[in-house]
Amino acid sequence: MDPVKFYASLIKKNMERPEHVKKLINFGLSFAHHYVSLFKDKRVPQSFHFLNKYCIKCVIDPLKHPQNSAWVNLFSPSEFLMAMDIKPLFIEAYSSFMSGFFIEDCLIDAAESKGISNTLCSYHKTFLGAGELGILEKPRLMIATSIACDANIPTFRYLSKKLGVPLCIIDVPYRYSKEAVSYVKKQLFEAASSLEEAFKRKLDIDKLREVVKTENKTRALMKEYLNYAGGKSLQTTMTFEMYMLFASHVFIGSKEILKFFEMLLADIRKAPEKSGKSVFFVHLLPMFEKNFKDYFNFGEKYRIAGSDINYDFLDEIDEKDPFSGIAEKLILTSFNGGIDRRVSRIRELVEKIKPDGIIQFCHLGCKQSMGGVFFIKKLASEMGIPFLCLDGDCVDKRNNQEGQNRTRLEAFLEML
Amino acid sequence: MVGYVCKYTPVEIIEAFGETPVQLEPDSKSYERAESLLHSNICSFAKGVLENVIDKNIDEIVLTSCCDSIKRLYDVLKQRVKFIHVLDLPRKKDPEAKDLFCSEIKGFIKAYTAYKKRDFSEENLLNILEKKAAKGKKVFSESIAVMGARLKEDVVEKIKSFGAEIINLTCTGEERKFDVEPEGDLLRNYAESLLNLTPCMRMAKDRNILEGKRFKGIIYNTIKFCDFYAYEYAELKEKLDIPLLKIETDYTDAGSGQILTRVDAFLESIGMKKVEKEKVRSGYFAGIDSGSTSANVVIIDENKNIISYSIVPTGPKALESARQAFELALKDAGLKEDDIKIVVATGYGRVSIPFAEKTVTEITCHGKGAFFIDSAVRTVIDIGGQDSKVIRLDDEGNVVDFVMNDKCSAGTGRFLEVMARTLGVSIEEMGKVTEKAREDITITSMCTVFAESEVISLIAQNKDQRDIIHALNKAVASKAVSLIERVGRKGSYMMTGGVAKNRGVVSAIEKRLGEKILIPPEPQIIGALGAALIALEGK
Repeated sequence: MDPVKFYASLIKKNMERPEHVKKLINFGLSFAHHYVSLFKDKRVPQSFHFLNKYCIKCVIDPLKHPQNSAWVNLFSPSEFLMAMDIKPLFIEAYSSFMSGFFIEDCLIDAAESKGISNTLCSYHKTFLGAGELGILEKPRLMIATSIACDANIPTFRYLSKKLGVPLCIIDVPYRYSKEAVSYVKKQLFEAASSLEEAFKRKLDIDKLREVVKTENKTRALMKEYLNYAGGKSLQTTMTFEMYMLFASHVFIGSKEILKFFEMLLADIRKAPEKSGKSVFFVHLLPMFEKNFKDYFNFGEKYRIAGSDINYDFLDEIDEKDPFSGIAEKLILTSFNGGIDRRVSRIRELVEKIKPDGIIQFCHLGCKQSMGGVFFIKKLASEMGIPFLCLDGDCVDKRNNQEGQNRTRLEAFLEML
Repeated sequence: MVGYVCKYTPVEIIEAFGETPVQLEPDSKSYERAESLLHSNICSFAKGVLENVIDKNIDEIVLTSCCDSIKRLYDVLKQRVKFIHVLDLPRKKDPEAKDLFCSEIKGFIKAYTAYKKRDFSEENLLNILEKKAAKGKKVFSESIAVMGARLKEDVVEKIKSFGAEIINLTCTGEERKFDVEPEGDLLRNYAESLLNLTPCMRMAKDRNILEGKRFKGIIYNTIKFCDFYAYEYAELKEKLDIPLLKIETDYTDAGSGQILTRVDAFLESIGMKKVEKEKVRSGYFAGIDSGSTSANVVIIDENKNIISYSIVPTGPKALESARQAFELALKDAGLKEDDIKIVVATGYGRVSIPFAEKTVTEITCHGKGAFFIDSAVRTVIDIGGQDSKVIRLDDEGNVVDFVMNDKCSAGTGRFLEVMARTLGVSIEEMGKVTEKAREDITITSMCTVFAESEVISLIAQNKDQRDIIHALNKAVASKAVSLIERVGRKGSYMMTGGVAKNRGVVSAIEKRLGEKILIPPEPQIIGALGAALIALEGK
């Protein structure tokens, strides 16, 4: 029997004993961390090998030390947590790992059986299910932003009430204005005091400035990386591209992510010239979908050219006034506001990277992204690039029609 | 007219311009055009609005940034209508949020003034607001509350037609009453009063809209692909001690029959809809269950003895099949139609049976029938041809809760029929498979159409037919167990409906529950038996 599936069945059998499940999950994560540290896949560039280990550790730390952790979503301003040495557990990452452990179905069923909508995004349903089943240790605080999707606030509020953990909501307005910046800035001040109160420690503004400074340096490297991304062939996988979310969002500002981008830049500089066809992804990559794994993981004929979610904000944050700077970043991300903002960012990235095709994998439940699919299609057609829209689920494997997807994906790749 | 959708829209500003604001209420039959502009999995309300705007050539629209689907609707409509404006709606109501919303309202006034070439007058606004001044709080009586997401007016009206007094607490059900301070900055005060409306689920503030109110029951509505309100439903379900019914609507007419059945059964279960009790009860009584797959009839005598029963497949005309089943049962009992004192009809076709004195939903009837067969039953699992239900009974056999599958045929008898055809076996043969033969396969798709293609690819992979059947039986069981989880597990269990004859499915459910399920000798007639008992008892 496949060891991962055996491990999954062991967890599922113990679902009524949450303490056992917590231990099994922590064991699985620690095992994965040791495994990737000891057995390096020779095909993997140094930078991704480093990122792989770091990301697993970023999920282990808050689970093992819940008293020093806060639950956040992908767009939460984790700069404050880093400045205060608090470990964030971002729910999308947790759900992805549970899908990697093949237990997402069990967690999703637990959430749905309580009455949670079956059309809700499975990243949220998986996390809610884990909360329902009591397999997560309570954090000290939760921080949720209203971007990039509607599910954040109700999911966090539901869990906050259920578990009795304080929640800090950061509402990010739809458009940019001076009133919008003041509104978010005030909420960031409130979030900082909630953190101080929950963790009984002071926020050192100089440390926050230091995090922002590192974040700016990292983003400069990220932009430099983009200059090479189109012309070189770096060996990558669907999973690594999704790990980039740790680097572009929740953990940007950390020394480790700065180091990762330095390594990534070194890797891409020495990578061979572009060969085969490259595909740019809009929003998410279905990293557990077999067809995609077959074609894109370390693919020679087809490779991943990037995803717009990793480059949603490319400006500098004001280091002197980090509260205003972070507020502006939240409002100005291309995942906020009208679809035209997103279209412009994708256009910029496509012009730079020059992929051979664009795929939008419409993750079931993600209205903000799938609602814009026809605009992205129009953009691709204006730019003369083949475009494929596929429906499926990045977490709940039951929602993927492997047979149909294979035919569509193959036909698209033949078009390239 | 100016179309709008969200209650936080500054409707009174539109009125102050001398225009008529109209809350858009989609009534499209399909989403053909909407789905070519927006993705099909976007909220059905947003798709309905788009369809209506195109159909009715609505050319002035005001939206708020209320949810992801409406934001994308704005993106689409921006290029299609003459005037469209979106107001950034904050989720909080602190002073900064009020400043922000006030500046958004001013932005709208500026844009509309430019478009209409007409000035805005604060005096007009003040007059309108004075007419809508709040006058004390409403007192709630012993009535039914409708809560959750917006509900189509015709559904509300139909619920009222069952005789229930309705208090509409859905997101758009609130009356527009304001308490705006005329002194100072009128627009800021107005922005504040809008943000003070009862928060919808999208807002940051926690809502306790039931605090201090008492209802006889609550009908909770959610909209397909709008996920906000299911969170509140999940919370209420856990803590409320009053009957709660969840319905899911989708802004097309399809499925309204199923919704009305649920509402009807709910009102029956909480005693809001009573069947008159007759004094003299002697003679023979018949129950007719006109279902999607079969028409079943049971005739009982005054001592509740089953005299005869019949099962006839439903043909293209439900009435003919029901009539045929009735005649068959009469013949078996050696009775004439005149010998039957009262006929009660249930099932989907219940309203189309002219010779029935009364109609009662199949939920109440299955509960009644199952409890009659065995009074230890607390959970009835009824899987019929086109829907599956789980019914919770109390110690007296009254229905206290129930859930039903949604519109699709996932997990129903029809699902198994389609699969049997694909596999080229009979439905009876499928029922015999209770164990895997070689390997444990899992069918991942619950959609009948997708599951069929999954089965085809399993056949192509030369999988053992028994393993595929076992996987299909497990899939139906899994759907049933998920319904059971929604009402909460409680034995004893009884299974009724045609699928109860499928030993494979029954055994898969038993494995998941870890408990035996009672199967009556003829599970298809339990609904008709319940109807006959109601005919006799009058309740």
